Amino acid sequence: MAINKNSNGYTFFFAIAMVVVVGTTLAVTAFGLKPLQQKNQATKKMMDILGAVKVDADRSNAAALFTEYVTRRVAVNYNGEVISEKPGDAEVDPTDKNDPFNIDVKKDYKANVKKFVQQFGDNEEKLASALEEAGVVFPVFEVVKDGEKFFVCPMVGTGLWGPIWGYVSLEEDYKTIYGARFDHKAETPGLGAEIKEDFFQVKFEGKQLQLADGSDLFNVLKGGAQTNEHSVDGITGGTITSKGVDEMLNRTLPVYLNYFENANNQRAQR
Amino acid sequence: MEYMSIFVKGIFVENMIFAYFLGMCSYLAVSKTVKTAVGLGFAVIFVLGITVPINYLLENYVLAEGALTWLDESYATIDLSFLSFIMFIAVIASMVQLVEMIVEKFAPALYGALGIFLPLIAVNCAILGGALFMQERQYPTIGEATVFGLGSGVGWWLAIVAIAAIREKIRYSHVPAPLRGLGITFIITGLMGMAFMSFMGIEI
Amino acid sequence: MSTEAQVVEKEVEKKPSEPLFSKKNRKLLTDPLDDSNPITVQVLGICSALAITVQLQQAVIMSLSVLFVMIGGNVIVSILRNSIPDRIRIIVQLVVIAALVIIVNEVLKAFLPDISEKLSVFVGLIITNCIIMGRLEAFALGNKVGPSFLDAIGNAMGYAWILLAVAIVREVFGSGAISLPGMGQVKFFDTEWAGFFANGGFYEHNNLMILPPMALIVVGIIIWIQRSRNTKLIEEN
Repeated sequence: MAINKNSNGYTFFFAIAMVVVVGTTLAVTAFGLKPLQQKNQATKKMMDILGAVKVDADRSNAAALFTEYVTRRVAVNYNGEVISEKPGDAEVDPTDKNDPFNIDVKKDYKANVKKFVQQFGDNEEKLASALEEAGVVFPVFEVVKDGEKFFVCPMVGTGLWGPIWGYVSLEEDYKTIYGARFDHKAETPGLGAEIKEDFFQVKFEGKQLQLADGSDLFNVLKGGAQTNEHSVDGITGGTITSKGVDEMLNRTLPVYLNYFENANNQRAQR
Repeated sequence: MEYMSIFVKGIFVENMIFAYFLGMCSYLAVSKTVKTAVGLGFAVIFVLGITVPINYLLENYVLAEGALTWLDESYATIDLSFLSFIMFIAVIASMVQLVEMIVEKFAPALYGALGIFLPLIAVNCAILGGALFMQERQYPTIGEATVFGLGSGVGWWLAIVAIAAIREKIRYSHVPAPLRGLGITFIITGLMGMAFMSFMGIEI
Repeated sequence: MSTEAQVVEKEVEKKPSEPLFSKKNRKLLTDPLDDSNPITVQVLGICSALAITVQLQQAVIMSLSVLFVMIGGNVIVSILRNSIPDRIRIIVQLVVIAALVIIVNEVLKAFLPDISEKLSVFVGLIITNCIIMGRLEAFALGNKVGPSFLDAIGNAMGYAWILLAVAIVREVFGSGAISLPGMGQVKFFDTEWAGFFANGGFYEHNNLMILPPMALIVVGIIIWIQRSRNTKLIEEN
C-alpha cells in the first residue's frame, strides 16, 4: 500500500512534522549555545576595556586580567550622578541588570541616543533632558595599573557605513588621555577601517582634553592637518569615519567629566 | 533629509552589486539584453520595497530580544533572533508568491512584463541581503527601512541596466576568446564598481 | 516506444548497486572542480563568495560552512526524496538549508566569535547561495544518498578553491599577509629584515586589492586563465 504523497492530508502532515523537527533542533542548538555566545561577548568587552589601558589580553586570560586590574564598575546618568556600582572583583553575570558591565551602550545608542542627537543636534540642554528622561546610563570602569588609577569610558558613534565604538582611558587628572581603542562594524577597508589600527590609536596617547568653555573637548582633524595637544590627525580618505570619532568623543566625554566633577566635589566636602 | 541620505546611499554608495555583490547570479544571467534587465530590475525594486518593511515589522515586533513586550511585559527576555534567517526567507518566498498572484489578477499588463522574473527573485541574494542588512543596521523607523529597501532596489536596477547596455555593445568588440561572455562581464563589473566607489565620500 | 523507454528505465534502476568510488561517482567529485565549476562555469553562488575574500581565514571558514550546509542539505533531501510532497518541494528545501545555516551561524558565534563578526550577514546569505539550492533540486532529489554526498563535496570544493584563490591573491597583495583560522594574520612583508621602506616593510600595501571591485576582477582573471587552458568552455559572445 502506498501513501499518496500528493494528497492534501499528507502534505499537511509533512509540513507540520517538518516544522516541529526543525523548530526543536534549532531551539535546542540556540539555547544550548547561548551561554557560550554571551561569554564570548563579555570576554570581547573585557579585552577592549583592558586594551584601553594598554593591557594586552587574549580570549584565554581576559577574565582573569579583568578582575586583576579593574577595581570598580560604575554606571552614571547624563549628569554624572552614580546610579549603580559594583566592586571590580564581583563576578560578571550576564543576567544581572544592575551590573554596569552589562550595560549595552551600543543598544542604547541605537535605540535612544542616535535619535536624540539627530533631533536636538548641538542643543545640549535638550539633549541632556531627553537622555535623562529615557534613562540612558553610561558605564565607566576604574582601573588600577602599576599603582596608578585610570578611568575607562566606553562610547558609541556613527561612521560612514555603520556604528563605530571605542574605549578611551583617562588619567587621574581627568584630562590626559592614557590610551584609546576604537573599532567599527563595517567601515571601508584601508580607509575608515584604519581607526582600529595601532598607528591611529597611539596618536591619542598623552593628548589633553581642552576644558576651556566654548571649545571642543577634543578634535579629530581632517587627514594631514596640523595638530596640537588637543587634537589628532584623522584618517586620510576616511573623513566621515574620522568625523564620527570626533563626534562621539565630544558627545560622550562631557558625561564622564560631569561624573569626575561630582566625585571631586564629594571628596572636597569630606 | 535622513530619508534622502539613506536612499542615495542605497543607490550609489552601498550598491548591492558593486559594494556587496548581492544578487550576482541573476545579474550575470539576465543581463544579456537591456529589455529583460529593465524588467528584472523593476521586479527587484518592487519586491525589496515590500519585503524589507514586512521583515522590519517581524524583526522588531516578534524576533528581536524583548520585541514581544507589546503582548505581555513578561516576555521581555525572550530572544527569538536565532529564527530570523528562516523567518525572513519564508516571508520573502511567500510574499513573492503572493505578489505574483495579485499582479496576475489585477494588473495583467504588469504581469506580462514582470511575471517571468518574479519566481526567480525568491532566491535572489539581494532580497535576503536587504532583510539581513536591515536587521544588522537597525534602522530606527519603518520609514527608513522602507526607503533603504527601495534605494537598494533602485541601485540594483541601475547596475543591471548599465551592464546590460554595455554587454549589448561589447558584442561588436574583439574580446580575447577565453574572456568572452562571463570573464569580461566580471572585469567590467569590477571597473564599474571602482567608478561607483567615487561616490563613497559624498555627504547628504 | 514509451513502454520500451519505461523498461529501460526500470532496468537502470535495478542495476546492482555500484561501488561508491566508481568512475561515474569519481566524476561527481572532479567535474565541479573544473569543467562544471559552480562559480566560473555555472555562474552560481557568486553573491556570497566575493565579499568575504578580503582575508584567507574568512574564506576558509566560509568554505567550510558551505561544505557543511551542502553535505547536510544534499544528504537530508536525498534521504527524504521519496517522501517530500511535490507541491511544497521548494519550501522544504529552503527550510532544510535555512535550518542548517542557522546551526552554522550559532556554532560560529559560540566558538569563533571574531570570524563570525567579520562574516556578518554573509553566513545568512548562504541560504540564497544558488549552488546549494541548485544541487538539491538538480541532484539530491533524484539520486541516492551516496552519490548525493559526493556531489555535495565536489561542488563545495569547486566553490572553495575559487574562494581561496581569490582570498590569497587579495590578502597577499592587499595586506602583505596571510591569515588562517587559529593563527591570526601573519604579515610576512612587514618583518624587520625586510624593513627598508616606509611603513615598515618593502611592500607598499595595495589598498585597491582590499576593496570590493578587485574581487570581481580577480575572478575575471581566473576565468580567463581557466578558459585558455580548457578551451571547450569558451562562450560564443
